[in-house]
This record gives sequence, C-alpha cells and structure tokens, in this order.
Amino acid sequence: QEARIFNETPINPRRCLHILTKIIYLLNQGEHFGTTEATEAFFAMTRLFQSNDQTLRRMCYLTIKEMANISEDVIIVTSSLTKDMTGKEDVYRGPAIRALCRITDTTMLQAIERYMKQAIVDKVPSVSSSALVSSLHMVKGSYDVVKRWVNEAQEAASSDNIMVQYHALGLLYHLRKNDRLAVTKMLNKFTKSGLKSPFAYCMLIRIASKLLDETEGGHDSPLFDFIESCLRNKNEMVVYEAASAIVHMPNCTARELAPAVSVLQLFCSSPKAALRYAAVRTLNKVAMKHPSAVTACNLDLENLITDSNRSIATLAITTLLKTGSESSVDRLMKQISSFVSEISDEFKASAHKCHTIAGSHRCQKRGWVRLQASHRGLHHQHHRGEPGE
Amino acid sequence: ACTVEPSLYTVKAVLILDNDGDRLYAKYYDDTYPTVKEQKAFEKNIFNKTHRTDSEIALLEGLTVVYKSNIDLFFYVIGSSHENELMLMAVLNCLFDSLSQMLRKNVERRALLENMEGLFLAVDEIVDGGVILESDPQQVVHRVALRVLQSAKEQIKWSLLR
Repeated sequence: QEARIFNETPINPRRCLHILTKIIYLLNQGEHFGTTEATEAFFAMTRLFQSNDQTLRRMCYLTIKEMANISEDVIIVTSSLTKDMTGKEDVYRGPAIRALCRITDTTMLQAIERYMKQAIVDKVPSVSSSALVSSLHMVKGSYDVVKRWVNEAQEAASSDNIMVQYHALGLLYHLRKNDRLAVTKMLNKFTKSGLKSPFAYCMLIRIASKLLDETEGGHDSPLFDFIESCLRNKNEMVVYEAASAIVHMPNCTARELAPAVSVLQLFCSSPKAALRYAAVRTLNKVAMKHPSAVTACNLDLENLITDSNRSIATLAITTLLKTGSESSVDRLMKQISSFVSEISDEFKASAHKCHTIAGSHRCQKRGWVRLQASHRGLHHQHHRGEPGE
Repeated sequence: ACTVEPSLYTVKAVLILDNDGDRLYAKYYDDTYPTVKEQKAFEKNIFNKTHRTDSEIALLEGLTVVYKSNIDLFFYVIGSSHENELMLMAVLNCLFDSLSQMLRKNVERRALLENMEGLFLAVDEIVDGGVILESDPQQVVHRVALRVLQSAKEQIKWSLLR
C-alpha cells in the first residue's frame, strides 16, 4: 500500500501530487509509516523538486513537515528548501521557510541565520509571518540564536499587515518575557503607537494583565488605563478580551468592573452565539465575587435562558442563581430541570462551585438544593426526594 | 490570581468530521490527546454532543470547541478554555470561507475529498504549529489556489489542442 513511493518515473506532476496527497491523508487518518518507508519517501521527494508545478512543490513542503519526525536524514532537502526560501517565487518562500525550520536544529540554524533575518523584515507579509512564526517555534530549542534577531522582529512589528504585527509582537514577548523591564518598555511603546491588528491588541491586553498581576500594580496604572481603553476598540474580539481581562483581575472594585460589565451586557444580545457564550461565561465569573455588579444584566440573562445553545442557557441560569431574588429561583428551577440531563459535567461542577463560594445567601443555597433535587428527580424518575442539605 | 501566560499558541486542533462523526481531517497542534486512539475518542465525543444542534460553541472536556456544519461536513476549531472565543471563531470562519471559495461554494464531503490537497494547503496557511498564521480567507485562497485555477486553464488548453 504505502510501497508506492517509487516516484522514480519521469515526473508526472498530477500522479505524484496524487501520491503525496494520499500519503498525507493516510498520516492524517493515523496510519503509521515505518522509518525506512519514510526515509525512502524523503529521498524520492528530492527528485520532485525538479518539477516546476507549484502545487506539487507546496505538497512537498507539507510532506516534509509531516514526515520530519519519522524520517531519518531529513537534511538532504535542506539545500532545496534554502534555495526556495531565497528564490524569486514569493509563493514558495513562506512555506519553504516553515518547512525548513521544522527540520532545522541549532547548528543548521546558524548557517541560515542571515536568510532568516532577511525574511523577518521582508516586505511580503507571508514571508515575514512565516519567518516570525518559525522563529517562535525555534525559541525553545535555539533561544540563543533567535535572541539575536530581536532587532529584525522589532522592525517587523511596524508593518502595516495585521498578522505580521501580531507575530512580531508575539516573538518579541516570548524572547523577552523573563525580563520584566524589557516587557514594560515594549508595552509602553506599542500601546502608544497604536497597532492596528486586533490579534496584536489581544496579545497586548494579556501581557498588560500579566504585568499588572505580577507587579501587583494599582488600578490607577497606565496599564490598566490601556486595557480599559480597549473596551472602546472597534473590534469585538478586542473589546471582549479587555472585558475578560478586567473581570479576571483580583481586587477589582465595582466601579472598575462596571464598564466591562456593561460591554458584556451588550454582547448578551448579539446574534453571534460565540459572543453571547463568551459574555455570559464571563458574567458568570463576575457573579461569583461581585453578584451585585451583575444584577443590572438580569433581564438580558433571563432572555438567554431560552437560548438554543444549551451551554449559554445553562450559564445564564447559574449566573442568575447567584444574582437573582428568591422568587426568581423557583422559575429558574423549572427551566433548568427540563434539560439538566444535557448539562455537561463541567457545568455541574461549576454550578457546585458557585454554591460553595456563594456563602450564606439563603436563596442560593435553597436554589442549589432544589436543583440537586430536581436533578435526582430526573435520574430516578419516580423518586421526588426531599431536599437534603 | 491566575493570569494565563500570554502566548501566540492559541489553537489546539482543527478537525473536519463527516456525517457519521468519522474523521476526514484532523490536525492536533499539541499533545492534549497524544495517541490516535484518544484523538478519535475525543472526536466521537464532540461529534455526539454537537451534531444535533447548530449552536456554534460549547465547552467540552474542559476545552472550548467552536464549530460549524454544512450539508455533510462538520468543522471544528479547538482551544483551551482560556482562549478568546472570538479568536477561535476567526480561525473557523477563515477555514470555512477559504474552502468555500476553493470549492466554489460546494462545501460538502465529495467535493472536499476530491480536493484534499487544497484542504491540506489551506489549513497549512491558516494555522502553523498552533499559531494563527492568517485570518483573511482571500489571502489564504491566494496563497494556495494558484495551481487550481491554472490547471483548469490547462485542461481547457489541452482539450482544445487535442
């Protein structure tokens, strides 16, 4: 079956392409290739580089990546890949870089260092992104080498392309993360010089949150102001990231939480399920420590009880259990008992957690107890147990 | 307080399952499910929990799962529960929209099986080792499908010459 690795025929691109596709498909399905087979495939593949067929070449790169771990002597393709990486065909350069870096070790890396640095600051976004992301992958194994490319990464960060910005920022952070001062300086620079990329913004928010957390910075710090300002970003992804960051900060006052909560409240009525889910999940977390901050959203949460997405509905209910009044608990119990069996284990666990944290609020305890009772009632169909404690 | 370590590594897996929950394509970027057996068990589980509803998102086995289905295909992007759900949706939408363009809106099992190399290359352009590489489906299609269009032209050329 796998013995059709004899690509020695005069290169018929379509047939070879078909074979490569099949190989990758089989690998994908979980088939295992022996080392000898894989190595033979590798040798055969070097011949395929002679063809100019673009799709075939791209599939060669992919096959190299997929087989990098199971084949021996992978370095035989290095020169072909290096040639493509610095060649004129832009379509090849990005993928060639990524394939090459998958098979490169530290020694080899130093040999191509010059090319990598050039690629990082290349004007073609796919080349720059590929170089940056590949550099990131190599930080673990070859930190000392990649560290030398900081200036190039810094330059790449001023690219207009939103993905390149994101990748450059990510690489810079991973390189500097043990140096808190460097990270702070970097953050200050980027928060002032307005990056465009929403992905980069999300990353910045996370870095800022982490810094605030580590330095136990007060919430009057410029880092907090930055995160708060992101609540007004045009992109929902960024707004949500900011709201989530604020909610997760320890020692937030109700006043600091308020703008984050109101943004989440808006998301509750979004047509996008993912946004509703993210919002209600985050509100649930707020309700654990500051239930009063969430009461303003009760109406929106009640609308979510009938959401077609079960996860959203469940989260809405568990949140309301923490913030609602005693009379609403009855109504909630009826709704939740209809699909208690569908709730995945994580929600049962989180509902339980909310009970233990909720403290001595009578209605919450009663609510949980009744929930358990109706849950038991569902499982043992005839048994309507007395609410135990 | 537990803040998550900021990282570009945001995607744990990209999966495409068919109507029976069988794997058409799966790329796992970390070892959350190290063996094929565990992977397939995971796939079965998420399929069972998601194929009846068409809500886009769920929390399963402690992971955030965003998904989309079309005719006889189910697309999934998996991330940790700490990930920004909208970011995962961006990956899902990019994948789906890229494939939709490449398959000329025929996003269904047979068309996909006939164009597996396009699928492999598209995913390769969208996520690299767990890092989101590109989010714009136009860019992805541009970087992948040059040959696809060319081969159609070539086929016409050859058929005219015959």
